[in-house]
Amino acid sequence: MILFKQTVKLLILIVFTISCHAQTFELGKVTSAELSEKEHMLDKEAPAAVLFSIGKTRIEYSNSKGFELVTEVESKIKIYKKEGYEWANFKIPFYVGGSDRESVEINKAITYNLVDGKIEKTKLKSDGEFLEETNKFWNTKKVTMPMVKEGSIIEYKYAIRSPYLSNFPDWDFQKTIPVNYSKFTSSIPEYYVYNSRIKGYLNPKKTSTTKNTNYNYTVKERDNVSLRTGGSGMTSNSNRTITYLEEVTIFELENIPAMKEEDFVSNIKNYMTSVSYELAYNRFPNEPVKTFSVSWEDVTRTIYDSENFGGELKKTGYFENDLNSILSSLNTKEEKISAVFAYVRGKVKWDGYHGIYCDEGVKNAYKNNVGNVAEMNLMLTAMLRHAGLNANPVLVSTRSNGIPLFPSRTSFNYVICAIEEADGAILLDATDMNSSFNILPIRALNWEGRLIRKDGTSSSISLYPGMLSKENSLALLTIDKEGNLNGKMRTQLYDYNAYRFRDNYSKLDNEVYLESLEKKLSNIAIADYKVTNNKDLSKPILEEFSFASSDLIEIIGDKMYFSPLFFHTLNENPFKLDKRDFPVDFVYPYEKKYAFTIDIPEGYAVESLPKNAAFALDNNMVVYRYNLQAVGNKIQVSAIFSVNQSIIIPDYYPDLKDMFKQVVESQKEKVILKKG
Amino acid sequence: MKNLIRTLLFYFAFLTSVEAQIFSDFLIPKELKENANACIRLQETEINISSRRSMTIKSKRVVTVFNEYGLRHMDAYQNYDKSLKIVSIEAKIVNAQGFEIKKFKKKDFSDQSVADGISIYTDSRILYLNYTPISYPFTIVFECEIQTSNTAFLPSWSPIENYFLSTENSKITVTYPQDLGFKYKEENFDGFSIVKTDDPGKLSFEAENLQAIKQEEYAPSLRKFTPLVLFGLNKFHYEGVDGEAETWNAFGLWLYNNLLNGTDELAEETKATIKAHVGNETDPLKITKKVFEYVQNKTRYVSIQMGIGGWKPMLAKDVDKLGYGDCKALSNYTRALLNVVGVEAYYTIIYGDPYQRDINPDFVSMQGNHAVLCIPYQNELRWMECTNQLIPFDFQANFTDDRKALIIKSNGGEIIDTKVYSEKSNSQETFGNYSLNAEGKLIGSVSIKSKGTQYDRKYELERSSKDELDKHYKNYFSTINNLQWKNPVFKNDKQAIEFTEKVDLEAENYASKSGQRLMFALNAFNQYSAVPKRYRTRNSPFEIARGFHDFDDIAIDLPENYSVESIPEPVEFQEKFGHYKTEIQLNDKKMVYKRSLTINKGFYAKSEYEEYRKFIEKIAKNDNAKLVLIQN
Repeated sequence: MILFKQTVKLLILIVFTISCHAQTFELGKVTSAELSEKEHMLDKEAPAAVLFSIGKTRIEYSNSKGFELVTEVESKIKIYKKEGYEWANFKIPFYVGGSDRESVEINKAITYNLVDGKIEKTKLKSDGEFLEETNKFWNTKKVTMPMVKEGSIIEYKYAIRSPYLSNFPDWDFQKTIPVNYSKFTSSIPEYYVYNSRIKGYLNPKKTSTTKNTNYNYTVKERDNVSLRTGGSGMTSNSNRTITYLEEVTIFELENIPAMKEEDFVSNIKNYMTSVSYELAYNRFPNEPVKTFSVSWEDVTRTIYDSENFGGELKKTGYFENDLNSILSSLNTKEEKISAVFAYVRGKVKWDGYHGIYCDEGVKNAYKNNVGNVAEMNLMLTAMLRHAGLNANPVLVSTRSNGIPLFPSRTSFNYVICAIEEADGAILLDATDMNSSFNILPIRALNWEGRLIRKDGTSSSISLYPGMLSKENSLALLTIDKEGNLNGKMRTQLYDYNAYRFRDNYSKLDNEVYLESLEKKLSNIAIADYKVTNNKDLSKPILEEFSFASSDLIEIIGDKMYFSPLFFHTLNENPFKLDKRDFPVDFVYPYEKKYAFTIDIPEGYAVESLPKNAAFALDNNMVVYRYNLQAVGNKIQVSAIFSVNQSIIIPDYYPDLKDMFKQVVESQKEKVILKKG
Repeated sequence: MKNLIRTLLFYFAFLTSVEAQIFSDFLIPKELKENANACIRLQETEINISSRRSMTIKSKRVVTVFNEYGLRHMDAYQNYDKSLKIVSIEAKIVNAQGFEIKKFKKKDFSDQSVADGISIYTDSRILYLNYTPISYPFTIVFECEIQTSNTAFLPSWSPIENYFLSTENSKITVTYPQDLGFKYKEENFDGFSIVKTDDPGKLSFEAENLQAIKQEEYAPSLRKFTPLVLFGLNKFHYEGVDGEAETWNAFGLWLYNNLLNGTDELAEETKATIKAHVGNETDPLKITKKVFEYVQNKTRYVSIQMGIGGWKPMLAKDVDKLGYGDCKALSNYTRALLNVVGVEAYYTIIYGDPYQRDINPDFVSMQGNHAVLCIPYQNELRWMECTNQLIPFDFQANFTDDRKALIIKSNGGEIIDTKVYSEKSNSQETFGNYSLNAEGKLIGSVSIKSKGTQYDRKYELERSSKDELDKHYKNYFSTINNLQWKNPVFKNDKQAIEFTEKVDLEAENYASKSGQRLMFALNAFNQYSAVPKRYRTRNSPFEIARGFHDFDDIAIDLPENYSVESIPEPVEFQEKFGHYKTEIQLNDKKMVYKRSLTINKGFYAKSEYEEYRKFIEKIAKNDNAKLVLIQN
């Protein structure tokens, strides 16, 4: 019992001690203990760590400027190694392109070092602060902290003021270095309602409170002053106070591990823990509520109602005459779709910009032969509708923009077109010369899009390819007595495989392409190379060539050894990590099929063949089959490898990696021929 | 009457587009389209030096772009800053048929700061054309005129600007006052027909119909084998200061007096600190090492391009206060510290580039893109790369080695040669052992010692995270599938400049099983597998910029219940490209595999390429030679 009491005491003491030693998250409280710390407690390899980062965004009102977003950030960063020096440089871009400008102010920026046991402070002076006029829309404040060494701690505080209330900054809890403590607070008056959304695989603690807040201001009596637009009246002054409710929301997270890159990930940002705010609506006294976005329906409605989207989509006059003459001779739906698709792609070239809104407008794009993605695909949609098809725009978030997890107006950054048919939808994107029906550029293959119909209603639509993109290779191969290999290859590429081939091939000179192909295929010498259908997108690519190679067969003693898939052998497991946190993304489902016939040289006989094999990942997500057969002086090889599901979650990773290992082993196994 | 008007109208229409017609795609000779992503139809540069302090450059550039890759050759941009003004800039686009389809005035160009992601700040800006082509081919006609008071840099002329780019006509004319010591230097004119017109006060070069050059593996930089002319003035002006460049000595003196002198002042406190740090040391080499180490621990590299056009270093006392600087600032700061403790160090202007590139010794002018520092010691120069906080003292491999550089002393400049790393000094010695079990699993350990250029590729391993090491080893031992590594031990000897790593390795199925047999390459730890690409016709010469030497000594234990069916033959061959030798001994279940490989540095003609490729192929084949075991 005594022992028990002591234990409890000890526990209390420990808890007490810990909370005593718990860091105070204030700037200027740097200790020698922190400065002499040599490595991060939890991540010994970390080159630097954020000791704390505290952000606060509030909406402030002033007579002169009306409502403004004010964001203040305080950060304290420990530099452990020279590789972490980059964390002592930072930049803050801010928008200056509109009539109202954002502004940035930096203060309390200090580097701390331990010099002979004493704490030495070096303040950031103006010579370490640079303002760059990046372009006409953006300026960038760049900061280089002084006197940074291994062991330094740097601290800084900055404030961004923005008149753009819909530009609520995101808060990233996670960085590529560990973060010990991260806190974000928003204080929002009742007139504005934002939706906050958390993404990533960590879960910040959230607390919300509401409190009364007073705002004192002076008005010049005469007319009603609207809070939203700022002062406007004239004549006599009078002091007033407005009391309003303010909602304060706090997000906190501790001991956040560093974010690490993995291969086969579509966009690492999808998994980085952050909170974002989206303006949902505002409600001012005596004014109707103005909605911005809440649900996917609202988001699409807002976009659709915009002049630069729905308005542009409704325009038809600019193309009607031209298009009518094209359509007049066409009868079937397929002909019309093909003709319109070809017409838009021939008429307008993509300027490389993403966006859901038109920039110069469809008419100008049509006239100037150049447009952004919205202009091109809204034009395509309008033309298809004009041709009597059930075409609608689809909002998309590109792979680089991340998966749109929450409804918000910034969720989408790209538009494509969908034609709804009884047996499914046909997706089209006019920006890419090599895309075709249901073959979108890779950038647009990202989860789900949002299809908007004429009446403004919307529904989600899957962007992932439903079909298996195939690659079929047939080869007739002959081995001579010297161990030379000669053969003819015939490969057909379908769907996305064909798209990728065209995308790559169209950019290269024939000879340059061949030389890189030879290098890729174990340095074989290619002759009689021929490609069919590289311009006809409706047909699969057919690639044919003959080749010779002197180093794919090993002669050792009186035997010949070779891996029977030769240059198509998977020699290396692409999955090297022992474990991973994020799904593997194969981009699209595919199947590779090889059927080789190998003639063995006279005077040789098959001594042994690799084992036949068949294995599959759970639910046939990935399937492998390998069969060999010797008949007379011929060996028949058939191999099938298919990835039936393009995204594979980390739970299956060990099995996936192991399966690839088995495939490598199976394909590397040798055929042995013996003389005599 | 009507007809006459129509004819006249037609005539005028024709007149306005006559220039455009010339640039239609049809008129390009067929051979200029081969291997070309774009063709320079015309590059006309007129440099007019009216006085030491005033120069205008007018250029007209017409480029037909054949595809997306050719877009970067449009080069429709101009940098500017406070001493270089853009007088006029405009562009137009002509379609394949020769009709003008778009026109851009100065206001249509985008204006942006030249931030390169590395520089924290630069005061240079750029006007550039952001044009989206509607179709290929198209032709851009770009005209620009600038005015500057700096005459220290004159543009050079290289009619073959890049790979995959042909040139129909390229011409440069320089008009100059005869009292400024105008000079020029021609390089690589052999085999090219170039028309030169040299009149008093006026010089021009012109070249026509130069075919595109395909970029090939191991090709040297274009400036080593294509025409190039450098221009310069002995009496020039630079950011408010007149300068002289008659001899390297005089030019160096000018640089010293105008860029370095007065920048090396330090606070008394700093002087005391560095003196205390050096202590009683008297040997200049040891003192220098101490100071260099002090700088490495105190500073970090940040690129800042400000002040005298990016040539004048930041003040040493500012570097001392801020703890950072660019290459010039850090080199000069180290120089200032060394000066305090009685060691004279030389600020050095150089090209920092993995490709060895000389400061052209025969042409006194502003050259280089980097600054380093050196001291003379026992008739040798010892080097300091002050932008790198981890690099050993006196180490130049892969970045500033084997080239001509300009050292600046208080009494003038001098061209010197930097350190050359011979084949033998770029060595790697591998000692190891492994055993195989009956399933073909490899268990072994290896110790690798690297020097010279090979040290450069390795020394940062000791600071790498586990993930980075994992990537490194799985890539380094890429011929071993299913590799697991553990217990890495690193020793970075910065004095001897040697890096030693030891690591234990395991790999299932290293030997592949085929029926009763196990097969594996004896050389598990150091296979040379990068066989150069085959070319149907090799067009450019090739270069092995640096040689190296590898030696391997590996003991192998064979599994029980297997006997050797076939064993690779030892080989040795020597060619001008290098030397290769293996020794293989079998003693019951134990084997010893020894290998030595030397690749020589060299510059070779294109005709020798296939021979070199075969040489490497032979090495790769022997490195991959297999031992075959058969179950008893």
